[in-house]
Amino acid sequence: METTAPLLELHHVAKRFGGIQALSGIDFDVRRGEVHALVGENGAGKSTMMKILAGVIPDYEGEMVWQGRPVRLRNPRHALDLGIAMIHQELSVMPELTVAENIFLGRQPLRGGVVDWPRIFREAEAILAELGFAHVNVREPLERYPLGVHQLTEIARALTSGAELIIMDEPTSALSPMETRHLLELTRNLARSGKAVVYISHFLEEVTWVADRVTVLRDGRKIATLEAGTTDKQELVRLMLGKEAAFFEESYMGGRTVVDRHAASQPVLVVEGLTRPRTFTDVHLQLHPGEILGLYGLIGSGHFELGEAVYGLLKPTAGRILLEGRPVGVGPRRAIDRGVAYVPPSRRAGLFLEKPIYQNVTLPWLAQISGLVPQIPREVAVTDEVIRRVGVRPPDPLKEVVFLSGGNQQKVAIARWLVEPPKVFVVSEPTRGMDVGAKEEVMKILRELSQAGVGVLLISSEPETVLAASERILVMAKGRIVREFVGETVTKEQLLHAAAGELAEAR
Amino acid sequence: MANEPHDPNNPPSRWRTFLAKSREFAPVWTLLALILFFSVYSDSFLTLENAANILNQVALLAIMGTGITFVLLTAQIDLSVSYMATFAGVVAAYYTAGHLPQPWPLVAALLAAGALGWINGVGTARLGIPSFMVTLAMSLIASGLSLYLTRGRILFDLPPLSETLGSGRILGVKWLVIVAALTLLVGHLVLKYTRFGRYVYMTGANPKAAELAGVNTKGVITAVMVIGALTAGLAGVVGIGRLGSATPTAFDGMLIDAIGAVVLGGTSLFGGVGGIPQTIVGLLILGVLRNGLDQVSVDIYMKTLITGVILLAALVFNILFAGRKEA
Repeated sequence: METTAPLLELHHVAKRFGGIQALSGIDFDVRRGEVHALVGENGAGKSTMMKILAGVIPDYEGEMVWQGRPVRLRNPRHALDLGIAMIHQELSVMPELTVAENIFLGRQPLRGGVVDWPRIFREAEAILAELGFAHVNVREPLERYPLGVHQLTEIARALTSGAELIIMDEPTSALSPMETRHLLELTRNLARSGKAVVYISHFLEEVTWVADRVTVLRDGRKIATLEAGTTDKQELVRLMLGKEAAFFEESYMGGRTVVDRHAASQPVLVVEGLTRPRTFTDVHLQLHPGEILGLYGLIGSGHFELGEAVYGLLKPTAGRILLEGRPVGVGPRRAIDRGVAYVPPSRRAGLFLEKPIYQNVTLPWLAQISGLVPQIPREVAVTDEVIRRVGVRPPDPLKEVVFLSGGNQQKVAIARWLVEPPKVFVVSEPTRGMDVGAKEEVMKILRELSQAGVGVLLISSEPETVLAASERILVMAKGRIVREFVGETVTKEQLLHAAAGELAEAR
Repeated sequence: MANEPHDPNNPPSRWRTFLAKSREFAPVWTLLALILFFSVYSDSFLTLENAANILNQVALLAIMGTGITFVLLTAQIDLSVSYMATFAGVVAAYYTAGHLPQPWPLVAALLAAGALGWINGVGTARLGIPSFMVTLAMSLIASGLSLYLTRGRILFDLPPLSETLGSGRILGVKWLVIVAALTLLVGHLVLKYTRFGRYVYMTGANPKAAELAGVNTKGVITAVMVIGALTAGLAGVVGIGRLGSATPTAFDGMLIDAIGAVVLGGTSLFGGVGGIPQTIVGLLILGVLRNGLDQVSVDIYMKTLITGVILLAALVFNILFAGRKEA
């Protein structure tokens, strides 16, 4: 790029929340024409830093310099006016509106006091063509397009509003591998065209591919800023954790030997010919006591729905689900009483954020714990025991779940099922959006459960997750089980290939 | 990051705690301010006699409000309560006139109301019709049944028990107030000290999560709609005793006050937050306001307007803080 002067700089930025130092002494800069990635565990300070960059947090110590001039952002609007746009992890698009309307949301150009539709469509088409998505019809409602296009719409919105710096927060967490690829290429092109991008992601592979430089945060401090070309995932993980994480490093690198130690035992769960139109087709599987069976598939492959069916939430039109030889029956209550536990893929769907931890944990067990009249001291005692076992921090049963970090919320969702150990534990996406340390802790809990004889069905669309703990892996695609990995070394690439074989060949 | 809405490094600020507290206590401050205001501007307001008056004036609302509290806690609404109260009163009087031996007319009245509530519940929970729609239809049905049974006339044969509870006294205290207090007490005990009460709160807080935890949420919603109808029915059968007759529109006008009182107290329209203590505060706010406006020299034609404005303010408050919850 013609200019090497940074577009944006932070000097000695620090931020306290009450008694806790969320950020201290941060020096950071991003230049035109570069993608600067920000990595670190949850709680490392990424979110605080991002909020300062986007004007969400106006009261911080230190200095921000924008295009050579010191600025203090008052609010996100101010940031946007200067040319700093943030693409949120949870998208802020309106699926019912057209693609074009979404791009010009809230700032439609007017002509003679009415919305200038021809101009909106023209400019929307132009910007999408520029981004390499000319095939998207801007007059169609956004909901007709996959999530990748939703993300794209947000980026187009940022660009048409004149953004120079674009902050992307976990932009690929909901995207398919193909969409992820498109987005990464698009991000590189943005940088090439002279924009600056701050890219935040848990997926280190993406980071090393897309970024020019990588800044690692840990415990609110900057650990290092590295040239992406001279570093690799192993080094990043080591810097992020600041300690040895040998096990997880292995699964991050892909490549895990799966074994089948349980084939001899009686299966605890048998699924036979399970079918539900447009969901899954003729699924057979067996889960043995003490086994962790990974079930991998791309989003929309029917693997999450299979988990729901086992828990009695979805009724199959054909086939059977047998627990210890007998049908499980319909409805979560029956499943719970038979010893099936379930953690849904979305944390929010399974937890009562505004309620204290103990009420979240004991809800399935109220009858057993305290009969007709809830005995709160007993509930608290039971909760205290299980949340300590899974390592919820802080281990305070009276604290509302909303005040916990994502990883700790997930541990609460799991802790609930330790009150009465299940026979079959269906966990969907147990570590999505979590940092490496928390992931490892959750995986440890699942391994301990399996060692205690629980059959664990580990369902995920993240290859790392299934590779981290599974002893046997099934791959689902388009509602069918397409591949089983037993007693061999499996890599992430093999999983992806099995799940997206047809897609990959079509490209 | 969005997946850690509340960073552990970011404890609730004092401001947030203050907001949470003010949500809890704003209705209490409102009540105290109203009492103070009317005490200053009227000599007759702050007397024991007037206090008894206020309790008497809100007693029927309190009975109805108990059931509405259950309904709102599950994030549903019942727009048919006042019409079901009228209907229950009509049924009790109708069968008394028809010489059905006591107490069967009262039993029939409560059963009839309960049956309508059950239909509300099934429509909402099993068929998935929004509760405001089902209960709107039910208000017409209950109203229509009242008109049909009475043929538009006023019924004067009342069950003796209705007359006693509606207008009698014991030890100088109106039975009506005692019935209201007992209804509120039972409601409170059920909500706070039973498993069912916990299910009501959890279903309102997050229906999907409650279902995943094995709670029969459809059953809970059906049950609260029945409870709402039963307390409405109870209000109807003691209410006719207070009025001295059963008319086909006797309590129809109470709907807004009954729901308003519960919301004024701070029970969330979005479920999961609130309870009987809040409802009691709301009832008193409404009672004090209505009564106080009579005592100070306010244009009588302004009363409804003022009450409406205050109710709107309470709704705005309710929504604002429910929004804060998500933030």
